[in-house]
Amino acid sequence: MELRSKRNRLQVGSLLLPGVLFFALFTIYPIVKLLYMSFLKWDLGSMVNHSFVGLTNYLDVITDETFRISFANTLIYTLVTVPGQMILGLVAAVLINEIPHFRVTFRVIYYIPVITSWVIASLIFRYIFNTEGMLNYLLTNVLHLTSTNIRWLDGRWGGLTVAMMLGIWKGVGWNLVVFLAALQSVPQELYESASMDGCNGIKKFFYITLPSIKSTILFALVMLTIGGFNVFTSIKMITGGKPMHQTETVLTWMYYKAFNTGEFGYAAALSFIVAVTLVFLAILQFKAMKQKDEANS
Amino acid sequence: MKQTSMKKMLALFLVAAMMLAAFTACTEKAPDTVSSPQVTAEQNVSTPDKKQETDNAASEEPVTINFWHHYSAQSAENETLMNVLIPKFEEENPGYKVNAVSHEWADLHDKILISASSNTLPDVARLDIAWVPEFQKMKILVPLDQQMSDFDAVASQLLPSAMSTGMIKGSCYALALNTNTKILFYNADALKAANIEVPKTMDEMYAAIKALSGTNEKGQQVWGLNEPALAGWNVLPYIWSNGGNITDEDCTTASGYINSPETVAAVQKLVDMYANGEFTGFNSGDIPMTDGFGTGRYMMLLEGPWKTAELAGAYPDFNYGMSEVPAGSAGSISVLGGEDIAMFNTANKEGAWKFMKFMTSEFAQEEMAKCGQIPVNTTALDSDTVKNADYAPFLKAITTAKARPTVASWSEIDNALTVAMTDMIVNGADVQSTLDTLAGTIDALLAE
Amino acid sequence: MLGVHKKARPSNVLRYALLLIGGAISILPMVYMISTSLRPNGALYEFPPKFFPELSEITFENYVYIFSQEKFYINFLNSVVVSILTVLIAAFVSTALAFCLARFQFPGRRLLFGLVIGTMIIPGTTLIITQYQLATFFKITNKLLGLIPFYVAWVIPFSTFMIKGYIESIPREFDEAVYTDGGSVFTVFFKIICPLASPAIASVSIFNFLTAWEEFTWALTVLNDTQKRTLPIAISGFFGQHQFTQWGYVFAMSVASLVPVLIIFICCQKYFVSGLQTGGIKG
Repeated sequence: MELRSKRNRLQVGSLLLPGVLFFALFTIYPIVKLLYMSFLKWDLGSMVNHSFVGLTNYLDVITDETFRISFANTLIYTLVTVPGQMILGLVAAVLINEIPHFRVTFRVIYYIPVITSWVIASLIFRYIFNTEGMLNYLLTNVLHLTSTNIRWLDGRWGGLTVAMMLGIWKGVGWNLVVFLAALQSVPQELYESASMDGCNGIKKFFYITLPSIKSTILFALVMLTIGGFNVFTSIKMITGGKPMHQTETVLTWMYYKAFNTGEFGYAAALSFIVAVTLVFLAILQFKAMKQKDEANS
Repeated sequence: MKQTSMKKMLALFLVAAMMLAAFTACTEKAPDTVSSPQVTAEQNVSTPDKKQETDNAASEEPVTINFWHHYSAQSAENETLMNVLIPKFEEENPGYKVNAVSHEWADLHDKILISASSNTLPDVARLDIAWVPEFQKMKILVPLDQQMSDFDAVASQLLPSAMSTGMIKGSCYALALNTNTKILFYNADALKAANIEVPKTMDEMYAAIKALSGTNEKGQQVWGLNEPALAGWNVLPYIWSNGGNITDEDCTTASGYINSPETVAAVQKLVDMYANGEFTGFNSGDIPMTDGFGTGRYMMLLEGPWKTAELAGAYPDFNYGMSEVPAGSAGSISVLGGEDIAMFNTANKEGAWKFMKFMTSEFAQEEMAKCGQIPVNTTALDSDTVKNADYAPFLKAITTAKARPTVASWSEIDNALTVAMTDMIVNGADVQSTLDTLAGTIDALLAE
Repeated sequence: MLGVHKKARPSNVLRYALLLIGGAISILPMVYMISTSLRPNGALYEFPPKFFPELSEITFENYVYIFSQEKFYINFLNSVVVSILTVLIAAFVSTALAFCLARFQFPGRRLLFGLVIGTMIIPGTTLIITQYQLATFFKITNKLLGLIPFYVAWVIPFSTFMIKGYIESIPREFDEAVYTDGGSVFTVFFKIICPLASPAIASVSIFNFLTAWEEFTWALTVLNDTQKRTLPIAISGFFGQHQFTQWGYVFAMSVASLVPVLIIFICCQKYFVSGLQTGGIKG
């Protein structure tokens, strides 16, 4: 709408002002500064005077073996946990949508992991997955599935597996809630006419349900991909990046480089690479989302 | 539409009311908690101070000295610091107020880096002796001998060997605060049951580790030896006692030392013990050291004087013994640990120096000695408190212990060492070739 | 509504069974945490491990210890203050921003919305270095005030995005009616938009509360003093990587820190779910 009166323009301005200020100061400025830092030599030996070193930091990041491992770990984490929690969440949503009683109860129960903080959830998982922990006791002494304790937390794949299980465990409830709401907005008539055409439940799911909630799926996909790249606390608490930095993710490695070895220039370049990757991924997904939307309507 | 939005409104109102209630409750409570009669350590400190503040209000504002340390928050040391030392210091030095902040050991290192990057360093910090060269390289430490006129008088009261940890390129950047080393802790009952003497040599220890490893009566695995990590602090006693080393005496080269036959043999022993299920503790999923030792899963370990207090707290009935690090071909050489106290260049130098002198004084050192901190003040070392303390066995070990290389790149060297050790011990990488590569890496770091 | 007319059929039994298994996996770790918090610290490495403590073994010593520490109350209060201020500020700022973006054309509107979306994507942790320098510049490190503006800045993009979507679903006729009666932008915002968008505002507020309540990395970086720490930092302080972890204390404190979140969630869960939906997806 157009703003004819001066008073209204002023009022819109004053409503915009706090948001824009917060934004410019606490988000945009740090991003710009980060970009600037990433071109400087800024480490232990040069904490005060920083020389311009061009793309050196970026080259250091790209040629760093541990960065590549951490990037691969982050990608694997995202590729496993995002579909994992979406599928489980969707299945649970479909099931809950079709039962007559206890819908709210189930929804609450499934949501409890979502509201558990990452610190607490990570500590619980670490406790359960200890080599001498409850899970190994169940597997070896009760179920007799293995004869020796599985070293869940010790290696790269074990540590990542536990972090991914935590990610999925914690994320299913959010997906459930998002998908349940979407399912409930699918017009009932679609299902009724499909029944008349002789479609069974599975066919209905693939031909009616899935296409109808496509935009929700894409929304969840974008949000969860961002979430996947954000994995930090669980790795820090569960493995701390050990052994030999094999379980680092991009953010834990960035944090280590900045605050443990003091290579701020390197860390800034790394941050920027991560940010650009994510923006790129998200643009792809948003584009896909738009196309699907247009195809739908 | 109307009805549902009414409901929504109601719900929103409820949330808002709840939050508001919680919020007002806490603003009301805030002053209440502060003045509550349950006085904690922190408040004990601040109450007399506040009085002083009002008394001296006319004269001048008290200067706050920010002191960061890693006495753990639940420890007796922290109690002594908060309830005995700081009140005493503030009483003796009116006009100064100490704000002591406890961090986890690893967090403290990171915090100092973070703060250095943005000029928010505290005035004084208790630093692991291994960090001093690194912080000196960052040019954030004050060269005490150049700037403090009474430095020589203060330094002369402290153990020269401990003071050497603050010496870099001929200047002194820190005062020694406390010293320590590691000795052998063993499960006394298990050794007795297996009829094994307390090992005096490395070979005897390796034999004992082999004999004590296996499974216990409940079918759980038992390891003869534990190390909670694979850094220099952990592996160096085995390497040194066997005649190996990281670098030469002057810390200029690692080739020929970190990959010498003696070092290789010592590391190979650790590799073999891990492979045989006799040695563990550094994996993320392992039982933590104190728990494993107290519950009879780890039979022996090399640890510092703080372990006695920890065991007394967590496993008071556990029967263990202490003895010096078993001697290898080069003797019994443990690793020298300890802390220095240093001031940063942004500090209020006068107050910081006063506090540093106080912390290294006979009084403070003896008070800290009562809770397991081995003093470096020579007068305090001679006191009866020290002579009768549980850590008497450590005092002898300190005389033969060696310090880790005092080079600026030690943190990086230590990281490279840890990675290499993990690769050999856990992944079974070839010892000689891995150490050859490591020698090259360390050489490059030393050359920087 | 779906499913209302359905009767209990055999296939429903299967559905309930599957949902029960999933539900069990969802809450068992929490149950285990609570049961561990009720056992003495020394019993944690016994063999065989027990899922439930025996009745005679149940002890509240961990809770007694935690609740006898004044630090706990201070940390708790810190978390409450930070979370509530974050929620209130973020709710106002992002609703105002969302309203302007949804209803008005102004120079830089597209750029602003693009930045909102863009920053939603960038992980907050990547900015930690420069945000820390900023906090230093404003002298708000080691202060609760050092947390709030950054938390607000982190949650603004998502909140704005969600609320904007919801506001767009509010018919413009309501606004027009106010303008026709001579009302101003403020009138529309406070009298029409804020009340009607309240479900969306409340639902993002709950998310924002959770975000602030559990935030770990930034708080760990910015805060030093024990008395300034928030609950997650305090909890992780009990967790020693290699020496020994007093799991009983860790979990007792965790349970205590979960209680407010659970209360808020259970009180509001019925409607915040629906509020989130209608707005977000179509935005």
